[in-house]
Amino acid sequence: MNSIRVLLADDHKLIRAGLRLVVDQQPDLSVVGEADDGRQAVELAKSLNPDVVVMDIGMPNLNGIEAARQIRQIRPDAAVVMLSMHSDEGYVLRALGAGARAYLLKDSATTDLVQAIHAVVEGKSFFSPAVSKVLLQDYMRKLRRSGAEDSYDLLSPREREVLQLVAEGKSNKEVASLLNLSVYTVETHRAKIMQKLNLKGVPELILYAVRKGIIS
Amino acid sequence: MREHGLTSEGGWPSRKLRLTLLISFGGLLALMVIAGLDALRLARQLHTQEEEIRQAFLAHTQPLLVLSSSIYVYNDRIQEYLMSQDPQADGLTAEEFSRLTAEINSTLKTYPENRQPEERGLLESLQQLFTEQQGMLNPVLSWSREERHKQALRLLNEEVLPQRSRIHETSEKIALWNSQQLGATDREMFASFASLQARQTRLLGIALTAGLVLSLASILYLLRLGEEAQLRYQELARSRTELEALSAQLVDAQETERRSISRELHDEVGQSLGALLVEVGRLAASVPSDNVKIKEHIDKIKSVAETTVQTVRNIALLLRPSMLDDLGLIAALEWQGREVSRRSEMEVEVQSADVSEKIPDEYKICIYRLVQEALNNAARHSSAKNARVTVEQTAGKILVCVFDDGRGFDPQRVRGLGILGMEERVRRLGGLFTIDSKPGSGTMLKAEFPLSPFNQERS
Repeated sequence: MNSIRVLLADDHKLIRAGLRLVVDQQPDLSVVGEADDGRQAVELAKSLNPDVVVMDIGMPNLNGIEAARQIRQIRPDAAVVMLSMHSDEGYVLRALGAGARAYLLKDSATTDLVQAIHAVVEGKSFFSPAVSKVLLQDYMRKLRRSGAEDSYDLLSPREREVLQLVAEGKSNKEVASLLNLSVYTVETHRAKIMQKLNLKGVPELILYAVRKGIIS
Repeated sequence: MREHGLTSEGGWPSRKLRLTLLISFGGLLALMVIAGLDALRLARQLHTQEEEIRQAFLAHTQPLLVLSSSIYVYNDRIQEYLMSQDPQADGLTAEEFSRLTAEINSTLKTYPENRQPEERGLLESLQQLFTEQQGMLNPVLSWSREERHKQALRLLNEEVLPQRSRIHETSEKIALWNSQQLGATDREMFASFASLQARQTRLLGIALTAGLVLSLASILYLLRLGEEAQLRYQELARSRTELEALSAQLVDAQETERRSISRELHDEVGQSLGALLVEVGRLAASVPSDNVKIKEHIDKIKSVAETTVQTVRNIALLLRPSMLDDLGLIAALEWQGREVSRRSEMEVEVQSADVSEKIPDEYKICIYRLVQEALNNAARHSSAKNARVTVEQTAGKILVCVFDDGRGFDPQRVRGLGILGMEERVRRLGGLFTIDSKPGSGTMLKAEFPLSPFNQERS
């Protein structure tokens, strides 16, 4: 059986030990290495070539976000699950921008970790429910206070479909074949979505989708 | 807009200054008034004296003149009487003689007692002339007309006419004495005028000297006051510098302390709690699902641990915003803005342009704390609905603005510790801190930091 190779990176030994226990309990998962800080995580990702890197966002020497960026450059196939204490969009957005596919709150890491690892291996995104909740609350509060209308209502049904698929991590080509459209049409839809929702780049698009509960 | 000024050194110098000016100018004014009043009094006095002297002169000279002319008239009447042919006139003439005599006697009686020797001589000779004429006239009155005619020529030649010329002489003497008296009066008046003038001059001199002394004393005193104020100002400036150095040290020490406590909390307490949570999670997983009672217990433990983790985390964040390390300045500010938006009724917007993350850590901390304090103040006190934070980096400087649309305040009067702290932090880095606000019109808080090329390279 081909087990999923996991690299753990956290500057706190106790946390790492706890995570390791959770991962090791799963028959299809195995921990191949542990890193104390961001720099070591990058080195180990390079030498061990893991499928998934589970990484704390706040680490000494090199923080999790920078480490994720570097790992994604060296090993584009390695999916990154980010662990954080913060549910704020500043963190989520930067983690996504650095190439992380999943974002877990440390409080709920043990409960959600296995599910998150499986999701990212399949190319999907995963966010702790608490994160989605905070993002949605922030968004709603902003809308309510500024009196602006929900830009999601501006999207056509087709655009909503494209939004969801792109947010789930599908490439333009995959979206095109799934919806029976040309790649060119998908690209046009994407550009329109970005424009209507005033988004810059895929990380913001994913964040938006999480906020709206389109993906989790 | 203003540099935090020295506002509280007023009071004593201005009060003393006012008093000094009051005394010196009031004194000068009083001296002038006194001198003027005295001059008036003098003029009046002069006038009175002149009047008195004139009255005295008249009191002596007039009766003398009246007397001499009355005696002259008396002599005249004797002559007329001797020469008269009209028997009817006799009785009238005798009557006139007695009237003239009464007049002369009353003048003599009312003549002033303070007589000078010369004056007394004149008066006596007049009296004597009068007595002689009376003595001559008395037998004549009892004569018959014939006898009178017989004797008339002799009497005229031997008695009346020589007496007449003597009266003339005396009159001339009186006129002479009169003019002498007039000269004396003039001299007397001059003398009294001179003495009064001397007194006036003395008084003026005194007033001038006193005024001079007063002004000199005031000037000296003012100079000394100025010197004292200068000294005080210097002292104040020095103690202010010392205070600034002290508070800079305090800020530094506080930041260091906070960082180490935060690290301690994060590394030690946070880690242990995290591990505890992991263990509890594993425990929960290993408990058979039908054992509800134990599951409940475990859930309770878990929730307590989670709350504690959250609390510790919040404390650590407050002490040292790990966002600054994890995300950089701008993201940390955005995070702060959202935090405030979540907690309060105020929506915060953060805008930034061209801000390098390579600015030194103390600048980041300073800006972060500044924005934190400003937003917290606005959310807590101003009932603002919106706040905007802008950070701009241009050649050589960073400009941070925090604006809120709340009720505003008067920065000259309200200056809490928070504002002082912000000002202190900014100034310590060589920045300029200003607050623009007035009641009813929101608050604009600005901090401008100079960035040397060296600063931009560092960290």
